[in-house]
Amino acid sequence: MTDSFQNKTGFRLQELRDAIRAEYQTVASEPDREFHFHTGRTQARIVGYSDDLLDHIPPAALESFAGTGNPFNLGPIEAGERVIDIGCGAGTDSLIAAGKVGPDGQVIGVDMTERMLEKARRARAEAGFDQVEFRYGYGEDLPVPDGWADVIISNGVLNLMPDKSAALQEMNRALKPDGRLQIADIIVEKEVPTSAKRQTDLWTG
Amino acid sequence: MAAGFVDFEITWRKDIFSGAPQESSAADFDTYGITFRSRKPHNEDEWELALAEITCEVPQFGEFLDL
Repeated sequence: MTDSFQNKTGFRLQELRDAIRAEYQTVASEPDREFHFHTGRTQARIVGYSDDLLDHIPPAALESFAGTGNPFNLGPIEAGERVIDIGCGAGTDSLIAAGKVGPDGQVIGVDMTERMLEKARRARAEAGFDQVEFRYGYGEDLPVPDGWADVIISNGVLNLMPDKSAALQEMNRALKPDGRLQIADIIVEKEVPTSAKRQTDLWTG
Repeated sequence: MAAGFVDFEITWRKDIFSGAPQESSAADFDTYGITFRSRKPHNEDEWELALAEITCEVPQFGEFLDL
């Protein structure tokens, strides 16, 4: 994949992952800095989260929210279910999911950005949810067993993954039969020329 | 479909970048936030059925050539 990816984009896979990680380390540590996307409660409201939902999230997690939609509007998540949150960031969606699955369910948030995971773990402790844990990993290589999840959520992350086909196949592996995908992401409606595909900021945002 | 999912549906679409603090060339490509859902098939039979239902009409030779 690495060679074909570099041929298509001009980036080495690791180079692109490092750039994405650097961008989101900044969203974690300096969430009030100016980005080319909105962040925090402002962004959560834009994409359809109610204040009722957000008021239960520790502020340190919510301030680094950078999702592109609301996966919880796509269908219910039931008590006792198992959920994976791919690219969980500082943990806002994982904590919302933890509230929905309750103490008999489980949520695993996965992210490749250490500072986001540190914030997520602190937010989990603050929220007091034992049913959620945060693991380091990539969407293309999820640290979960086959057929583990009832639901996979992800918010603004699939577009950041260099190998989308591998990411979707990995989601398929991690889901139970009849398991659901509830994904928020972005689409472009105009063709992106090769020159633009070589702009790092278009990959990292 | 290629990744082994059925019942794919985009349910929401919105311009989420307007007014962001820093200008982005994302707007040049009509970039929108979306949500979509899909489901892993219950078993191989359901998957095979879903594949079989994908239709692709192939035009007759000359249909678009005014022959």
